[in-house]
Formats: sequence, structure tokens, C-alpha cells
Amino acid sequence: MKKFLTVFLIISLLAASFVFSAGQREPEKPKVTVFWALYDGLTEAYRTELQNAFMAEYPDITLDIVPVPWDQMYDKLTTSLAGGNPPELSIIGTRWIIELLEMDAVAPVEDYVNQATLDNIFDGTKEAFINGKLWGLPVAAGARILAINNDITTKVPATMEEMRQEAIRISRNTNKYGLIMPGRKHTELTDFAYYFYAAGGDFFEIKADGSYGKSLVNSPAGVKALEFMVQLAKDEVVPRGYLAQTRMEAHPVFYTGDAGYVMIGAWVESALQQAGAGFDVTYAQIPGFAGYDSAPLVITDSIALFKDAKFKDEAGLFLDFFYRDEWKARFDELIGFPPVTISAAELPQFQTPLYQVLNEAAAHAKPWPLIDGFAEMTDIIWDAISFAFLGQKTPKQALDDAARAVDQITGF
Amino acid sequence: MEKGKIRRISGDAWMAYALLTPAVLFFVIFMFYPIIYVIMMSLYQTNRLGILMNFTGLDNFIRVMQQETFWAVTGRSFVWTILAVIVKTVLGMIIALCLNVEFLGRKTARMLFIIPWASSVPISSMLWRWVYDHEFGLLNQTLISLGITQNPPVWLGTPIWAFISCIWVDIWIGIPFMALVFLAGMQSVSKDLYESASVDGVNAAGKFFYITLPSIKQIIFIATLLSSLWTFNDFNTIYILTRGGPAGSTDILITAIYKSGFEWLRFSDAAVMAVVTFIILMVFSLFYAKMYFKGDEAL
Repeated sequence: MKKFLTVFLIISLLAASFVFSAGQREPEKPKVTVFWALYDGLTEAYRTELQNAFMAEYPDITLDIVPVPWDQMYDKLTTSLAGGNPPELSIIGTRWIIELLEMDAVAPVEDYVNQATLDNIFDGTKEAFINGKLWGLPVAAGARILAINNDITTKVPATMEEMRQEAIRISRNTNKYGLIMPGRKHTELTDFAYYFYAAGGDFFEIKADGSYGKSLVNSPAGVKALEFMVQLAKDEVVPRGYLAQTRMEAHPVFYTGDAGYVMIGAWVESALQQAGAGFDVTYAQIPGFAGYDSAPLVITDSIALFKDAKFKDEAGLFLDFFYRDEWKARFDELIGFPPVTISAAELPQFQTPLYQVLNEAAAHAKPWPLIDGFAEMTDIIWDAISFAFLGQKTPKQALDDAARAVDQITGF
Repeated sequence: MEKGKIRRISGDAWMAYALLTPAVLFFVIFMFYPIIYVIMMSLYQTNRLGILMNFTGLDNFIRVMQQETFWAVTGRSFVWTILAVIVKTVLGMIIALCLNVEFLGRKTARMLFIIPWASSVPISSMLWRWVYDHEFGLLNQTLISLGITQNPPVWLGTPIWAFISCIWVDIWIGIPFMALVFLAGMQSVSKDLYESASVDGVNAAGKFFYITLPSIKQIIFIATLLSSLWTFNDFNTIYILTRGGPAGSTDILITAIYKSGFEWLRFSDAAVMAVVTFIILMVFSLFYAKMYFKGDEAL
């Protein structure tokens, strides 16, 4: 009995100390966590400066900007949401917003930021405006372009076919690669989309009410695009290890001056600077196939605010702070994307040839389809591309199988 | 305990229960509850956050098992585990035998040898990803500069080489554990046995097969069982090296579970595969243990 009393006493004391300490605890200091995508060109110094500057202005708020590589962002975000522990804010690919809405995971960001901040953002970049509400502020929006290493070639191709011919010439006559083409699955389907859109393709048929219908990835445009990609590999104009290269591994081959062409985003200039590239670059439109107009891919990324986050008001304060020119324009300059804010777009640093090409590309660019389950569809189409590259299926067979699998997901 | 009497719990027992309570609570909250929840997810339709919606019974199991990819990844998981564990066991044994012999610098060799196992798996896998890189990787540069080939394979880009490359990294990380455990076992074997065998004219192979192996049989059993469980569930190596590609050719059950759950948000499908994995490993462990004890009785 004595031992029982001793144990009881110990447990009571422990419980009392917990209660006491809980009672004495100071009110929780708001902490805003931001999942911060590591764009090429974005520096650690900028992240730290931004974090410190915000906390200096708002000493009662802790800001934790968590750097996350792009190819891990989707997994990290969905894992944190599934675990019931979302950040306050996260940079997302805007196409993810449909899934986040399906999960009921996001809050309308327009309810938490100043009207002045909203008014300073170009309406055309507000891709996350769905069902009458803005679910994410655009953080980067840019069409993809063609970068040409002038030490290797000065030819600006008017069609995909011309680009292939010049790439063949480069790889036969020099010890350089004609073209960069990542062949390994990564987060996005960009590398297929360049050719697919250039052949006039669309991922889905659009029904009369504007909703998506059956998959069109196996349309003549899809087959033409994939056959062309397979042919480029057979021509040996791309690095021989392309099958093992994601975008992150493939692009440095261009930065080191070893390839003539690369289809790339606006970050190319800052990435080249950081890599110390010593060659001149021409920027041009991604060409269409013969008989087709140029139709580059445009990608927007947004900052979403999460419904179950604890400190949404404080997160709104951070957004207002971040969207000031002092920070946002610097951010845009580092990542190389054209500004999404009206005031930053007027700054002299955004009046260069690169931004002129980007603006021209944006005028006729096509975005990703905004459809639930696109992450799984991306995986399916990537696998089809891999099967074609590996010669295990013809491009037509691979894309027919992919279209069937995609239609199963969408229920068509 | 006498018949008809209710046993009183003594003060010592109370103390024991009280001290065990935190551990039991920890086990229930962090082990038992997640397992039950995963089993429930496999029997329910879930939303994209993994919340249970409608009870569907075994429908999820039927749907998942009708998919070709499920059987492909399950089969690959077995090939992956069997190959890796066999190689780790054989190489681990050879290295343990080498390290059990007196030679100058043996202590340093043992310390160096543990590095792959002491490093974290993600770091080791990242390191190997660089080694395998086609353009800038150490492996291809070495093969080319030694004149072995001017056309090295794309290690992580073709199905067969990607699978072999992943297995090799798993083996590279796992060998030190096997070797050290075997070495510890070998050092506990009495030297008198070897001396007696020498007197009787038994050669080195005979000593190994008739003295060393039987003496460390229990250790081999535990090491191979643990290695099998770890290898079957080795997510990091494959995810970092290939993410299951190219075209799913290096996907095993554990990576398929992750993709299904956290990339495609199909939590029910992921739960089905997790339950299947749980059953496979449970049955394997019980069968393996039964075989072991049966063999032990026969001796």
C-alpha cells in the first residue's frame, strides 16, 4: 500500500506540475510558416534578409520561411495537410489549387491582404481566381522560351523541324549537344508540353459548358510530339544520358556551354549568371511545328493560404510586406520571371530583351489544364513518354494507353 | 493462485504497472493506433486528406489487386529483397571473416568499414546519385579514363541498370551491418574449437562450415531477418535515386504506397498496399522463425 501511495503521489505531483506550467505559460507568439520554393536563382541571403526584415517590422510575429526544393514541394505540402499540420502559406504550382479546393484546404487569400496589394497585381496573372474568389496570390508567372547559345549557333529556328536540323548539324560538327531534353520523370510535364503545344495539342477536349472531357494526349498532335522527341533522341542531338536527367540535371549542361538550344523559363538569365556562363545568349520564341503557330507553355505559381493554419491574419501581414517592390521586385529579378505587380513592371531592370521576349511569349502562351488529379495524370503521361523512349511501346501505343488511364481517372 | 480466490494485486505489481504505463501509452498512440487506422482506411473510401468516408469492405482490395502494377511492384519487392539480402549476407560474411583475422590496421579498417552504415541513407543515396550521373558522375568518368568503355551505360535511365544500381546502393549501405554483426558472433566462438580442429587436420573451409557457421547460426538468423524487413521497406534509396522510374521499373511496394498516398492522394489504395505489406512481412517473419526453431530442434 505504501508503494502504491508513493506512485500515486509521484503521478499527482507530475500532473500538478503540468497544470501549473500550463497555467503559467505565456500566450503563444504567432508564428507564420511559409513553404518557400527554391526557384533557380533565388538565394539564401534573400530568404534570410526577408525573414529578418519582416520580424524587425513585426517583432511580435515569428516568421519561418522554410526552403523546399520544387520537386519536393507537392509531396511536402500534401503530407503536411494529410497530417493536419499545414503551414500558414506555401508557394504552389497554381494548377494544384483545384486539388487543394477539393480537399477544402485553402482559404481565400483576398480576405487577409490589403486591397492595395491586390490592386497592384495584374489581373491576368490571377489564375487562382476560381468560383468568384482568389485562392492564391500569383508569385511568378512566365511563359517558356527558347534560349540559344550564340557560341554554338546563331540560328533562330522558325519551326521545330528547323530546330532539329540545326541541332543535328551542331552535334555532328562540334563536340556539343544540339539540344537539351530531360527524359526522366520529374514533377512537371513541361518537356512534353513544349512539343505537344507546338503541334497544336490540348490535354483535354473542352465541352460546351467549359468543363474538361476526354483526354486528347493521344491525339495526332500528341503522337507527333512524342515521335519527334523520340527522333531527337535517335538523332543523338541530346545528351546521351538524357533518360536519367530531370530538368534540374539537364539544364546545367546548357549553363556550362555544352548545348545549342534549351527550352526554359525566365530564370535562365540568373541561372547563367550564377553558373558563371561566359557566352552570349539569344532569347526567342519556342517555335511551332511547320504549319502551326508558336504556343509556348505558360506557368503561374501562387502563394496559397491554408484554411486550418493558426495565424492567417499574420500571414496576410507577411503577404502585404512581401508584395512591396522592395522585396517582390528583387524576388522577380532573382528568379528572372516578369513581375506580377504593376509597380514593379515599370522598373528599369525589367525592360531588357529577355523580358521583351517573355512578354511576347505570354501573348500566345497556353497554361496547364486546371483539373483535379493532374499529378497522377502527369505520372501516367511521363511513364508513356519513358516507354516510348525505351522503345518498349510506339509513341502511339504509349499515348493510347496513357489516354485510357487518364480517362479512367476522369470517368470518361 | 488458489482456485476460487481473487488474486490481489500486490504493491510491487502496482509499481510495475505504473512504470509501464507511459511505455504502453506510447505504444498504443504511436504504433497501435496508426496500424488500426491504416487497416480502417483500407476498408473505407477516403477523401483526399485521408479522412474515412464510406465503408466499402474489401472493394479497395479487389480494385487494387486487379491492377497489373500492383502485382508488378509486389513481385519486384520480392526480387529486390531476396537479391539484396543474399548478396549482403554473403559479402558481409566474407568481410567479417577478413576482419576477424589479425592484421596491421585492423581497428582502422573496422572503423572505416562502418561509414556507409553510419551515414544516413538519404545522404548515401544522394552521393550515389552523383556517382551514377551520366555526364559528370565519378563512375562513368572512371570507366572512360581507365579505357574500360567509351560508352558507359545510363545507370539510372534504363530499367535493368536502374534496378541493379538501386540494389547495389542498398547492398552498399547494408553490408557493414551484416559484417559487424557476423564479426561480433565470430569473436564469441571459443578459440579452443579451432585449435582442436587444427590438431585433427581440419582445413579452413571445414572450420568455417563445421565450427563458425553453426556457432553463429542464431546471429545469422537475426541479422538476415532484420535485413529482410529493412530491405523490403527501403524507401529512401529508390525514391532518391529513381523515384521508381524509368516507367515504374524500380518501384517496389513501399514506393508505390508513397506515390499512391502522398502524390496521388489515393489513401485507400495506399492503405491496401500497406496492409498487404504488413501481412507479407508478418507471415514471412513467423514462417522464418518457425523454420529456424524447427531446424534448431533437429540439431
